[in-house]
Amino acid sequence: MIQNQNNMMKGIRFHGRGGQGMKTASRIVGTASFMEGYFAQDFPIYGAERRGAPIMAFTRLSNNPILERGIIANPDINIIADETLLKDNAANILQGTWGGTITLVNTHYAASHVKETYQVSGKIATVDITDIALKIISEPVLSSVAAASACKLTGVISKESLEEAVVKELTDINLKKEVISKNTQAALASFDNTPSISFSDLKLSGEESKNRIIRLRYEGPYVGSASVYGHGNTITKKTGNWRLFKPVIDHETCSRCRACFVSCPHSCISLDESGYPQIDYENCKGCFICMDECPKQVISKEREVRAW
Amino acid sequence: MVKEMLTGNLAAAWGARLAEVDYIPAFPITPQTEIIEALSKWIDNEVMDAKFTNMDSEHSMITAAGTAAATGARVFSATSSQGLLYGFEMLYNIAGWRVPLVLINVSRAVAAPITLEPDHNDILSARDTGIIQIHVETCQEILDTILLAYRLSEDERVLLPVLINMDGFYLSFTREPVLIPDKKKIREFLPEYHPKHAFFKASKPMAQGVAVLGGSAYSYFKYQLHLASLNAIGVYNEVANDFKEIFGRSYPAIEEFMMEDAEYVLVMSNSFTVKGKAAIKSFREKGIKVGLLRLRLIRPFPKSELRLLMNGKNAVAVIDQNISPGSGGILFNDVSSALYHEKHRPDVLLSFIGGLGGKDISLTEFNYIIGEMQKSVETGIVPETQLLYTENDMRQIDKFQKIAGKM
Repeated sequence: MIQNQNNMMKGIRFHGRGGQGMKTASRIVGTASFMEGYFAQDFPIYGAERRGAPIMAFTRLSNNPILERGIIANPDINIIADETLLKDNAANILQGTWGGTITLVNTHYAASHVKETYQVSGKIATVDITDIALKIISEPVLSSVAAASACKLTGVISKESLEEAVVKELTDINLKKEVISKNTQAALASFDNTPSISFSDLKLSGEESKNRIIRLRYEGPYVGSASVYGHGNTITKKTGNWRLFKPVIDHETCSRCRACFVSCPHSCISLDESGYPQIDYENCKGCFICMDECPKQVISKEREVRAW
Repeated sequence: MVKEMLTGNLAAAWGARLAEVDYIPAFPITPQTEIIEALSKWIDNEVMDAKFTNMDSEHSMITAAGTAAATGARVFSATSSQGLLYGFEMLYNIAGWRVPLVLINVSRAVAAPITLEPDHNDILSARDTGIIQIHVETCQEILDTILLAYRLSEDERVLLPVLINMDGFYLSFTREPVLIPDKKKIREFLPEYHPKHAFFKASKPMAQGVAVLGGSAYSYFKYQLHLASLNAIGVYNEVANDFKEIFGRSYPAIEEFMMEDAEYVLVMSNSFTVKGKAAIKSFREKGIKVGLLRLRLIRPFPKSELRLLMNGKNAVAVIDQNISPGSGGILFNDVSSALYHEKHRPDVLLSFIGGLGGKDISLTEFNYIIGEMQKSVETGIVPETQLLYTENDMRQIDKFQKIAGKM
């Protein structure tokens, strides 16, 4: 184990959506840290698992035994692999970030723009890791590229350990050799594209002093039991931001056969007055069943670059 | 010997694999499923030689585990929370059959309201079944404790099932470096199981779990179970010593942390203990003489060991990660009753409930506990059981209540 640095401890938090590979990203960084000789710990947290739901994963590395467990409330490095989460208040992805946090956002926007728009504390960098993944892996899976950015930001993980960790973790989930080699290539590209940022000398001020213990008093069952009286609010959750590609129907060549209308599993396709299918982009998750089902193949797949 | 990044679940699967178990009846439940997934994969790949059966429920699973153990097989299984409760009556049965086996419980708070995160109401509900209970803190400890548990369980002086508890998420899905010990050393520590007691064989008919109407027979056998459980304390200490000699890792029934010269003592269990240890370190830096005891062996409850460690201390605070509504913390009652007749018992004994449903126990909470202990020592007034709950927690609840249409 590495002994010569005093009390180095880094907490990395990953934010993404189910299916994007954040759990694997946290594991790659954990394994890379372990290979570098650090004490390491990694784990994901999620609720009722489903693709597209916001998930978090964590990695801790230290040159001393780690006397912490559970979520990282005040991350040293905060990786935001899905920029649409910035707008989702319930996902709370900036919670606990502070002057000493380095935030990395996966976006094509400039870092200064993100910092201003969302009032991000601490230092910030932006890298379009989705673009790297699409170019090299040909799929928007972000595990290796997000892990690579995090490794670079730690300042203590070498490319060699990163590469070895990508191979180990992706072999463990039974990926084919050629997919793994594309992932290592993408990881190295992401490592090179991520800037080196030094950690600030700021110390996290005692957050606990602002918090205090309170005594709960009895409330009637209306308040004191876990019952919900509010009407459904799921319609206010727009699922369209889970999408990386959007289906586009060419109405010039569409025969109005309704195959897409019938097969959309989320009823996001409706028919207009003339019988043409129209897609509800606010809620379409981009599953592309419509494209597969279209007998005339007039539905295409377009990459969306988010504008927020 | 290899060191690898393993989740608690995978460490548990490795423990079963290294113990060379014969039979695994299984039923999935979050956050335990990865254990049986790993085992079924290994058996399918033929790196492990055992019989794996998917059951229709935890009730059947625990029944199958007990009956298989009664044939002399080495049996392993795992469950969690609602699953453990679904099979509950069989827990009493397999203990009464006096069959050795190891069952993992991956702690998850019990519904309602339903959640996936841990506290210990699930496992502690099984404290009166007669099954031995060991609660662990780290992923390494899970693997090691499985090996240790088979030695304990199969000992003729004990012959009781063992439940090992580990926290969901904080251990089950958390990876950390785990040493996977050598087979040779394991065989030295844990020999093959050759039962002298219960084993069904075609040529040797026998009956288990028979009806015993009239209280004298029932009382006799039930108390034998109690005596066997009490025996398990001594046997545990023997086995833990052997383990330390062979593997170098030490697992006393109660773990001490910075207890030397401690005037104040925190009592905790399971994975959240690590948060307590971090807090103790920061208090020590400020010159506060505080230490921590982690209860590892929960049933049987190691009373004499506890008395030795606690006598002469100024104040003790038990943090129960469970709640017995209408009473308070479950382990607090065990601790306080063990100390009542001690001449040099601690001056004050405080009870706190924290970490329910996986709620964090932060430094704010630990600071509060130390403050309360100091106050009680000074005034002699000891408060009733208190919940560790903060203003920030309340703010979050207010937000949820609003979404739920209540405010």
